[in-house]
Amino acid sequence: MESTPPLIEAAGLAKHFGGIFAVDHLDLAVHEGELVGLIGPNGSGKTTTINLLTGHLKIDGGHVRVRGQTVAGLPASGFAGLGVGRTFQITQLFSRMSVIENMLVPGLARPGAHKAHVIREARRHLEFLGLAALEKLAAKNLSGGQQKLLELGRALMLEPKILFLDEPFAGVNPYLRDEIIRFVQTLHSEGRTFVIVDHDLDAIQRLVHRLVVMSRGRKIADGPLAAVRENQDVIKAYSGT
Amino acid sequence: MRRLDLASAALLAILAVIFPFFVNAYWLHVMIIGMMFAIMAASWSLLAGYAGQFSFGHMGFVAVGGYTAGLLATGLNLPLPLGMLAGVLLSALLGGVIGWTCLRMSGPYLAIFTMAFSEVLRIIIVTEVEVTGGAGGMNVPQLFHARTDLPYYYLILALLMVSVGGMMAVVASRWGLFFRAIRENEQAAAAAGVKVTRFRIIAFAIASSLAGLAGAFYAPYIGILTPDVASQDQMGLVVAMAIVGGMESLPGAVAGAIVVEFLVEALRSYGQWRLVLFGALLLFTMRFARNGLIAPGWLRLRNLAAPRGARLAKEAAD
Repeated sequence: MESTPPLIEAAGLAKHFGGIFAVDHLDLAVHEGELVGLIGPNGSGKTTTINLLTGHLKIDGGHVRVRGQTVAGLPASGFAGLGVGRTFQITQLFSRMSVIENMLVPGLARPGAHKAHVIREARRHLEFLGLAALEKLAAKNLSGGQQKLLELGRALMLEPKILFLDEPFAGVNPYLRDEIIRFVQTLHSEGRTFVIVDHDLDAIQRLVHRLVVMSRGRKIADGPLAAVRENQDVIKAYSGT
Repeated sequence: MRRLDLASAALLAILAVIFPFFVNAYWLHVMIIGMMFAIMAASWSLLAGYAGQFSFGHMGFVAVGGYTAGLLATGLNLPLPLGMLAGVLLSALLGGVIGWTCLRMSGPYLAIFTMAFSEVLRIIIVTEVEVTGGAGGMNVPQLFHARTDLPYYYLILALLMVSVGGMMAVVASRWGLFFRAIRENEQAAAAAGVKVTRFRIIAFAIASSLAGLAGAFYAPYIGILTPDVASQDQMGLVVAMAIVGGMESLPGAVAGAIVVEFLVEALRSYGQWRLVLFGALLLFTMRFARNGLIAPGWLRLRNLAAPRGARLAKEAAD
């Protein structure tokens, strides 16, 4: 695994807002097939990290490499084109467009995409996510949980090599949480790579093999679950002492 | 349902072709101006209604198209059609530049920026008296030397059909889907792989080129071009036409432009009071019918015309 370059790699990644470092010289590498959890207290820089690794924020220092290739100044659409997909902390949909149209946008944005094939793919993903019967409904008319699933489906339409999920379990009922866990496990077993940010430690522990912990913009731990759980810096960050 | 739309479009096209044989020269002129405004309203609808870019600089591009055609024809003695083509191309280019300049703007910032662009352009036209004729206007040669306005009527009818047909094709294509995605959520569109910068510029360039086309037609038709063409009064009229028709419907915007233009003329005897009436109509539309009055009205009629079985099947599918 280590001989091939990481799927995505951040080296010395930095972002500051005014005088405050939201991300402070972060090193992070995610390899193909990994399922990584990214946790940390509120304000630790998790979402900013995702925004930097998906082109939604400009980096102030360091660099990002996708499959070994440095991607300086690439916009978010460019990251998407390289197979870097994401969902958002607060679900971001094309509200007045139908469910199927939401799915078609990323499919048709891929160079050389054929509409008939994209529609077939969209319906296959909607079937997988249990949204097939709702394809003509406007996205704004879906329930909160269904909107989260649609956002996941839309990201899948990019045929992503790596998927960043930003708080996928926030505000969802226990049944849907189990459904999302099942979907992620299935997709991971098919070879997809995931980085999942969430505060739901129970769900994270059920899913991931590797845990990265951030505090005040810095990475304070990175490793297997058991080792990270025993890490004194992590305990300190979460207990606030 | 699609068959009903096509049949209605064909019927309207036939009515438009025979219209001049049933009206006098005055109403023919009103219809010509109405169709010219229809190009402006529909192109503004493409930009604001579909792509979500609320530009108030549309009349600036009408002026660019008109003055370019006029200046090239009078100053360089170029054939007028060539001048008109240059006006369209320059409007598209300038529209793309404005679109690029406004990339980080949306909502009121974009509206004020584009309004300022149009106003600066108008003031330049007023100030550069030697080139543009200033506030007194610039004479533009006629395109046709006929005794009636019939050639202009059929020309603007053809331009309207081609431009609206082209815009409808764009809206139905993946570009139209990307425009709507950008309108709904730029951040999500970028995450979905849509090149937001490129498509915002494309939307501006297409809409501006068609505004320029309307201006390039207007200049030789009226024969004199004044800076008022870029005024905010005219912009307000175009916006009102698109809103009354239905901002997210190109045929709605076309119908809105023609209906409003005819009402403006029919109510001329009421003087300034007719503008009050239009203000009230606009307020009513924005408060109670945000999708406009004409486009939703047409959809309702179409549903009534559909066979009961087809209606039930559609309701079940929805």
